[in-house]
Amino acid sequence: MISFQPSEEQGQIIDMVRRFAADIVRPNARDCEEDKAIPDDLLAKFWELGLIANSIPEDCGGYGFERSAVTGALISEELAYGDLALALAMLSPTLFAYPILEMGTEEQKKKYLPGFCGETFKFATSALMEARVTFDPTDVKAQARREGAEYVLNGEKCLVPFADRADLFLVFAATAPGTGAPGIEGYIVEKGTEGLQVGEREKYMGLNALPLYRVALAECKVPLENRLGGPGGCDFQRILNLSRISWTAMATGVCNATKDYAANYAKERVQFGEPIASRQAIAFMLADMAIETDAMRFLAWKAAWLADRREDCTREAYLAKLYAGEYAARITDNGVQVLGGHGYIREHPVELWFRNGRGIEIIDGLAIV
Amino acid sequence: MDILVCMKQVPDTETKIVINPEGTGIVTDGIKYVMNPYDEFAVEEALKIKEKMGGTVTIVSMGPQRATEAIRTALAMGADKGVHLCDDAFEGADSYSTAKALAAAIKPLSYDIILGGKQAVDHDNAQVYAALAELLDISHVSIVTQLDVAEDGKSAVAQREVEGGAREVIEVSLPAFIACQKGLNEPRYASLPGIMKAKKKPIDVIDLAKSGLSADEVGEKGAKLKIRKFFLPPEREAGKILEGEPEELATQLVKLLREEAKAI
Repeated sequence: MISFQPSEEQGQIIDMVRRFAADIVRPNARDCEEDKAIPDDLLAKFWELGLIANSIPEDCGGYGFERSAVTGALISEELAYGDLALALAMLSPTLFAYPILEMGTEEQKKKYLPGFCGETFKFATSALMEARVTFDPTDVKAQARREGAEYVLNGEKCLVPFADRADLFLVFAATAPGTGAPGIEGYIVEKGTEGLQVGEREKYMGLNALPLYRVALAECKVPLENRLGGPGGCDFQRILNLSRISWTAMATGVCNATKDYAANYAKERVQFGEPIASRQAIAFMLADMAIETDAMRFLAWKAAWLADRREDCTREAYLAKLYAGEYAARITDNGVQVLGGHGYIREHPVELWFRNGRGIEIIDGLAIV
Repeated sequence: MDILVCMKQVPDTETKIVINPEGTGIVTDGIKYVMNPYDEFAVEEALKIKEKMGGTVTIVSMGPQRATEAIRTALAMGADKGVHLCDDAFEGADSYSTAKALAAAIKPLSYDIILGGKQAVDHDNAQVYAALAELLDISHVSIVTQLDVAEDGKSAVAQREVEGGAREVIEVSLPAFIACQKGLNEPRYASLPGIMKAKKKPIDVIDLAKSGLSADEVGEKGAKLKIRKFFLPPEREAGKILEGEPEELATQLVKLLREEAKAI
């Protein structure tokens, strides 16, 4: 009935991204976190892997290979095993490119996708989250109102990656408030459009390497053809589902990194004459971390598998994300616990993973497969 | 230029090696295999030469069925085609019988330069390339850390490491075998499109019959070397810390070095 055997290409992709994460992502994570910035050459190195161009049609300048949510989940996990903030940064152009690729009109694809097939990292982003306690991604307060040949956007967004450098924004706004996901559409807003205001960079507990901004839309006018998917609109629920799959897969990467690091530490750290891993208090914790990480991964895979079959995966993606948020906090907390006093010191990465992992429950829509 | 790369699939360098109970080899269950790291430098250098001068890069590898994965990795990096010597008869080869089989596969091919790692990290013999060059009647340059192929493709200047950190600069006429060392280049990652395209690139499988060799020339039967036993090096014992005044320490140290370690 089911198989967990990756295809030969998926196997090679996993090997490649794992190696990239070990050689490039992990060794730079701490410096990027401390500097609150990611050097362009790191993004350039990621760009050379050709992830986005790979699935862009040949007539738009890409390679035309099929995109898969399962493969996307595998890539998300491996990158986040290196570091969550860098993974989010590297994959941030997909926030714009993938919805266009999947749901854009032919004109939108022809206009925007070739920009993602060039030699240099293309800064593009999306704006979904809004800063309020009761935020629900299926009930956004940002509004799109039609006025003649234009849509007029109003609203405030937060957690917009690279808003300072992005050429293209995909802004999610409701045409009719209170209608849930079906009432939410995506609007393409180009940098420099009047009424698009990039605000202050936000400061968070973790993810400090990733520049996240507030973005305001004040009577921001875009032509009718800038609505994602044209007159028919987009399938916002599916975009949300794909983002929850990616988010869960990334959480799995963070948790797996924590689990591996804590387990290795526990096997080497000797207290009272034996490695602490042989103490049940530690061993049980490590076993739980392994079980919960596997569970998280399988939830992501199941939802991704459904998404690839074009079946509704709203329930699966939601449950996966819910589980990922709760257990990423728990697993990364246990990572700090296993290392004891060392876990609280910045020389070990578990405190960083704890701060990053804690945000997974709170944040939505920062990644997409 | 027609560029060949000799490549071997080896256990991942992070593998924990376990000897089988009979002492005839290592336990291969659960081992992850990768492209020999030194061969990655060779693949990268081949791709760079191709990018500069045009031509094709062909990967030549001998190994069981699973070695296809490593050939595909090289194809995903950008090589054009593969040649895979694959037959039970090739199993258990030493450096000589490996070179013999590789030479048989390479002779019918057109080539201007052959690259390979300076050694495979499994048996660490570092002998195949020399034997292969001899069998093909071409020169070889070993432990190469810099390579410049002349514009006409007829010769190359290679720098090789020699003892004491010095470099030896060698001009060699082509075709020649260049055995690559770390430092030569920074191997690229296979790109996603590269991985997808690799699937469609041809791999020519050569069995014993196709190699034109007989069973007693290759593999274990053709080997000049017989491995009698595999064993792991003894575990390192804990070091000794001497205490006392410097004069005393020196005396103690000399005594230990002479009597216990028998080093002086």
